[in-house]
Amino acid sequence: MRALYPPGSDPDGRAFVLDESEDRPVAGPTRRFRFPHLRLGTWLGVVIMGAALAIACVGPWISIHDPNDFSSTVNAAPSDIHWLGTDDLGQDVFARLIVGTRLSLVLGTVAALVALLAGTLAALFGMASGRIGNLLVFGIVDLIRALPGVLFALALVVAIEPGTTSVVLALGLAFAPDFARITRASYLQEAARPYVAAAFVFGASPVRIALVHILPNITGALVTQFAIILPRCIVLEAVLSFLGLGVSPEYATWGRMIASASSYTEEAPHVLLAPIVALSVLTFAFAMIGDELRRRFDPARRRIMT
Amino acid sequence: MSLQLLKPVVAGLLGLALIISPAVADPKYGGVLKLYWGTLDTTDFHRHTGTISLTHPFAETLTSVSKDGQPKPFLAESWQISSDGLTYTFKIREGVKFHNGDTMTAKDVLANFSRIRAEVKKGWLTSAMEPVDRFEAPDDRTFIVILKTPFSPFLNLIAEAWILSPKSAGWDKTISHPIGTGPFTFDSWTPQVVLKGKKFSDYWMKGKPYVDAVEFDVRELADASLAVRSGDLHGAEVPLSKRNILGEDKNVMLDFRGDTSWYFVSFNNKTPRAPFNDLRVRQAISYAIDKPAILNLSAGESGQLVNQMAAPGNFYYDKAMADADPHRQPNLDKARALLKEANVDPAKVTVRLIGEATDRSVAPIVQMIKRLGFNVENKAYDDLGYQKALSGYEWDIFPGGSGPRNDIFLRFVRLMSDGPNPHLWGGVTDLEFDRLVREASISVDDTKRRALYLAAWQRVIDNYYTVAIGHTPALYAYRKELRDMSIGFNTSAHRADGGIAFAWFDR
Repeated sequence: MRALYPPGSDPDGRAFVLDESEDRPVAGPTRRFRFPHLRLGTWLGVVIMGAALAIACVGPWISIHDPNDFSSTVNAAPSDIHWLGTDDLGQDVFARLIVGTRLSLVLGTVAALVALLAGTLAALFGMASGRIGNLLVFGIVDLIRALPGVLFALALVVAIEPGTTSVVLALGLAFAPDFARITRASYLQEAARPYVAAAFVFGASPVRIALVHILPNITGALVTQFAIILPRCIVLEAVLSFLGLGVSPEYATWGRMIASASSYTEEAPHVLLAPIVALSVLTFAFAMIGDELRRRFDPARRRIMT
Repeated sequence: MSLQLLKPVVAGLLGLALIISPAVADPKYGGVLKLYWGTLDTTDFHRHTGTISLTHPFAETLTSVSKDGQPKPFLAESWQISSDGLTYTFKIREGVKFHNGDTMTAKDVLANFSRIRAEVKKGWLTSAMEPVDRFEAPDDRTFIVILKTPFSPFLNLIAEAWILSPKSAGWDKTISHPIGTGPFTFDSWTPQVVLKGKKFSDYWMKGKPYVDAVEFDVRELADASLAVRSGDLHGAEVPLSKRNILGEDKNVMLDFRGDTSWYFVSFNNKTPRAPFNDLRVRQAISYAIDKPAILNLSAGESGQLVNQMAAPGNFYYDKAMADADPHRQPNLDKARALLKEANVDPAKVTVRLIGEATDRSVAPIVQMIKRLGFNVENKAYDDLGYQKALSGYEWDIFPGGSGPRNDIFLRFVRLMSDGPNPHLWGGVTDLEFDRLVREASISVDDTKRRALYLAAWQRVIDNYYTVAIGHTPALYAYRKELRDMSIGFNTSAHRADGGIAFAWFDR
């Protein structure tokens, strides 16, 4: 018989995570810390992401140039003064790349968080509010999923107004259905568990069961999905910027850098390569980390491992 | 040495010169001409609101704007203007056939002008039709236009009044397949992909066109220069930045369009908010703008620093006015002094700037304004979005550009209170400016007309409605084997004195 510990009953207020291998909830902090065994790819991902975070935090102090300052030295090759050369407006590519790193990370993370919140809450509400709510929420979700993400985000940005808020909102709503579907699948799985039945017997409302009991137990799947969606948000933001519909043009985003450099591939290929390589490497890092998280939180795989 | 002895030497030299000089080859027939030359808005040419680049190869007009910007006879063999400037009598060219085989008559011309007047409610042709009182076609070769008031740009403006067969499909509503008189018949059009035309064997210019067919690539290419260099395209409009690279390519020739594009910074003139309603603040911002730097970044050596809508070489350009420009070079000290005098702390002011997303000159202009200490809220929109945003007048500054126009009036009319799309120049409402432009447009005397236009532009300068930065030419590249191809005053691919009807392949 599985022991039931309804979430919230912990004196410290910590949420429990149901560990299927032990048939009882285990509070995280009581376990001994073990240095995780990670694959080479994951290590690479972690190192790259750490470097990107460091650059985003201290980068502006490394660069000696203002990323927005223009000069008559256009499309210059890398040199002692301009480490990655200059673009068609004579702006320092390295300085812009650093600013772009920060923007890409911040915008990508915030957009992925918006997607996580919107998708998860909408799905939980839909599942908890019965057949009509379910139909309504997942009808909208399917409608959005039927459209290509780029088109949907593009239409939203154009409809609202170009700017940071609209870009974050557009990216968030474009990827919210991915979280909604994961939430729905996990919800259905969890709803069959005895602790949910127990909560129901204790008189908890469907919304309370969804938010207080089920949500903490599906965070693993959501975190994995978050790690998968985040690089997609970064790439889509770059696409919007490439099309000239990203954040304000005064901010140096990778997409905007690629767009402006694409007209000078022959004269200054390094200007184009710099943001492309940065975008590829960061996306690779997130993909590796996301893959590791998926491996660790995948219930089927966990069962095999135990 | 006697003359007798010199004769054979001279004859020999002349003979040698003839042998080694390049022969003037006769045009050859055949081939498919592939060009990247702009795009097409609609198959109903009368209703076009954008580019005229690809219309003339299929449908022609009574007049044609030649390379020097002057109207030349096209479907009209000649014309006469009455002394009061009110009556234009066109003699219609004889033997011109539509692509369906019908002979074009004055009645067809009348039908087209009547359709334009009745159906077209926006775009450039509305200006041409405004002063018209009535049209007459007394016989097959005479077409008369009677104006209510004299209108000097009329001949240049009707170079966009395409003559189509009234038997064209959709004539009563929207023409779906235009039947014109051009050197090529309208074959097929896949929007944003390709526009194809086939040689019209009954074309009125004897012996022309030389190529069998034409294919216009109408995709939005950022840079077509590589396609020209590789031979995938035979001609294209290319970015100015490619001038040096293309100049070094022995298989490519370069050409410049007759009329230039001009760049400007407009203020919101319709609903200016403080402090931008203060002339000193506008002056200060103008002093902060580094015109040479912007021109250098956008056009390199090809940019022309001009504070007018007309560039050097144009009849309406004035050198004295250009020399008197106080903003030829930036002067930040003077700019700051003006702001101080106006009691404006730029750190407390956010400039609302609207720009087109692809316009690379916007970023430097933002930086230049920021140098004064202003905060800048820069909103970038796509091609349609920025026009919509501008029409809302929730902005302070708009850096923009404008392409070639068939007549200088078409540039001035945009700043008139009742002009088309006035928001691009901030919705200027200046009755004196309107009067001067109107007077210029009805003036039949060239000198007087020029003086009136210049007086109108001086008002723009004095009131800082719009600050002209300069002009840039448009660059075109052709493959060496493509002979006698040229670009004219505007973007059109075909005209009376050149274009694709004259082009042939020397292979």
